[in-house]
Amino acid sequence: MILGVDVGPTNTDAVLLDGDRAVRAVKVPSLAGDAVGSLAAAVRALPAGPRGRATQLAVGLRVAARAVRERDGLARVGVLRVGGAAADAVRPLFGWPGALRDAVCAGTANVRGGGGLAPRDTTPLDRDAVARFGASLAGRAEAFAVTAVFSPVDGGQEREAAEILRAETGPDTTVLLSSDVGTLDLLARENATVLDAALSVLVARVADELTATLPRLGLAPGAAVLVTRSDGTLMSLEYLRRQPGLSLGSGPACTIRGAGLLAGLRDAVVADIGERRARVGALTGGYPQEAGPGERIGGVPVSLRFPDLITVRADAHRELAEAADRMRPAAGLLPLILVGGGAGGVPGGALTGFDVVRPEHGGVAGAFGAAASPVGGQYDRIVHRGPGRRLDAVRDEVRDLARAGAVRAGADPRRVRTHAEPDLPVPYLPGAVLLRARAVGPPLPL
Amino acid sequence: MREINLDNLDDIARGAGILGTGGGGDPYIGKLLAREAIRKYGPVRLVAFDEVPADATVVPVSGMGAPTVLLERVPAGGEEVAALRALEKHIGRAATHIAPIEVGGVNSMLPIACAAEAGLPLVDGDAMGRAFPEAQMVLPGLIGVANTPMALADDKGNSIIVDAVSNHAAERIARAVCVELGCQISSADTVMRGDQLTDGLVPATLTLAERLGAAVREARASHTDPVRAARAMLSGTHLLTGKVVDVSRRTQGGFARGGARIEGIGEDAGRVLELGFQNEHLLATRDGETVATTPDLICVLDTDTGDPVTTEGLRYGLRVSVLAAPCDPRWTTPGGLALAGPRYFGYDVDYLPFRQD
Repeated sequence: MILGVDVGPTNTDAVLLDGDRAVRAVKVPSLAGDAVGSLAAAVRALPAGPRGRATQLAVGLRVAARAVRERDGLARVGVLRVGGAAADAVRPLFGWPGALRDAVCAGTANVRGGGGLAPRDTTPLDRDAVARFGASLAGRAEAFAVTAVFSPVDGGQEREAAEILRAETGPDTTVLLSSDVGTLDLLARENATVLDAALSVLVARVADELTATLPRLGLAPGAAVLVTRSDGTLMSLEYLRRQPGLSLGSGPACTIRGAGLLAGLRDAVVADIGERRARVGALTGGYPQEAGPGERIGGVPVSLRFPDLITVRADAHRELAEAADRMRPAAGLLPLILVGGGAGGVPGGALTGFDVVRPEHGGVAGAFGAAASPVGGQYDRIVHRGPGRRLDAVRDEVRDLARAGAVRAGADPRRVRTHAEPDLPVPYLPGAVLLRARAVGPPLPL
Repeated sequence: MREINLDNLDDIARGAGILGTGGGGDPYIGKLLAREAIRKYGPVRLVAFDEVPADATVVPVSGMGAPTVLLERVPAGGEEVAALRALEKHIGRAATHIAPIEVGGVNSMLPIACAAEAGLPLVDGDAMGRAFPEAQMVLPGLIGVANTPMALADDKGNSIIVDAVSNHAAERIARAVCVELGCQISSADTVMRGDQLTDGLVPATLTLAERLGAAVREARASHTDPVRAARAMLSGTHLLTGKVVDVSRRTQGGFARGGARIEGIGEDAGRVLELGFQNEHLLATRDGETVATTPDLICVLDTDTGDPVTTEGLRYGLRVSVLAAPCDPRWTTPGGLALAGPRYFGYDVDYLPFRQD
């Protein structure tokens, strides 16, 4: 038995799942500013008998999104870039809205070091400069974000810098590394890492609260806890502490996925109709379709993946129909799944050209999506195709690293399945190709 | 003469992105560098060909390599000046003017930064009128201007001079150096005299980029059609508005061949456009009939925003509008087509002369 919870701004939904069948669903009012309290209230509203057989709790907390939106509960971050003279023209936190930067920034530095596409292009790390930066922010920065040039290729200097920062500021200092975020694009990766660090204190507190509350929820002894992420998969609380940014956008992602599971569809347009707003996204192959590059959070360009969404007013049915049409990936007829509390208020006649599906339990699609999703991981790497160079070996390694990512996020290593995504040639770099893989699997059982 | 200052950069970058025809690298990082350079050294003087003295020494500068690397190893500024200085030392005279070699993509921006840093005027024109992937794909080659001596410099202070027997040979050598130096370097090459500009370069392309960018921005602000605004500014034709329903990428005979299938919607419902791309969009076939080929410009724009869709950004579900625009007529000569026609890129298709609607 699996328990899924979606802590929304107005209501908190909870569903109990037996296999892929919803046994029971409840909706309780959310408690303002208390995600874990809301979760506990929703879980306790479920009957104690089946709840006691729940071995897994999957929850969408939405605390990170709220913190960024309202600039509330963000930690002050020491922003360290390792790139030296190269990487100096664009300062750390360039382009951040002033209020957000003021709320987050404890200080920035750019020290000598960083790598290249090939190991021979590495510049040694200026360890003294790292130490000086750490010492100057000791007691003032609540967390550090470290971003080295080309760290997705080799994260060694970021780990080295983290050790120095901890030596200067204390062994328990939170130091987040951009190599965990991945993706070659220094500024967007650095921004995402800084957001992670800014959210780390809040998220750690919520994770602690959740861990402390868990034994009192009446679940099966030692039940596993997982949280939702923006690609429609799940991760452990430990993973959330290191990469809270992955939870941004997880609310709509889970709703889209849940809508598909409830309707028994893998490809569809999904409209989540709330009280005031309706959000329209697309489901491709069972997962939310991702927005293109250039995504922003709180006005900041970040290298995170989000579901592709169009938001319209809930009562503007014509706009809704237009948005649904825009989200339809192909010209052919594709079903439109209506979910959310306000779905009943949308007349089917307003959505001509669509085969409208209104699944049972659509009001709790987010909670359902949380309960029925696997743990996920992904990895990508640029490689040079060359004479005698066999890509198959590298491809296997990329798949293994995606698998390792899923396992780190809490998946059962024996049951993870990987699949390669199509190779992406790197523009203007003849012979270079970006290999990508994803992995999903059920969480590690007890 | 007029000045490029901070206010012009957004429009130029937006327009240059569209002129990149799917490639050329996102101008974003270049724009930040140009902004930093103008902030430090003041506005850049932009001059038309007829304002350049006949005996002027005009040096085109550019970045060479992978935009992915540029995004990761953000330049410090000054990289193009390093290539320029190395070239000046080799030819024994100082540059009097800077020029862009390629107006499409990030190489529209790097010469602005270089001109600001070097305190030199910038020529309003370029050697392509769009984006192309290789160093010999430049119009001055058609009037006998060599792209060597070519100075290449990296961000660590290394530089090298290439003297080659042909422009193609220079490309091969420079590409090898580029990979050896970390896949993103700066180049100063294709030195021209002032009196060669009219025959060698496409005129007023930075101004075109700026007007194009402004037209798209204004259309967006007034809630009119940004794609139509772009098409009008480029004197282009509408090929199709639709949705991307399939994207494939494979390597064949040394070419990273990409293809996208776009199904028409609205007035184009029922029509299908097949797009062929490598680093840039190169070939458009509608309902089985070739409708546009390189070296004409094939621009894929986001239907709603008018933002350019790059070859790597093409993906399932995108709503795009495809338009074609005429290249500089010198590209359509036998010499021009040998450099950048569809057969050079490995397509078994003849150049299709551009037809206005």
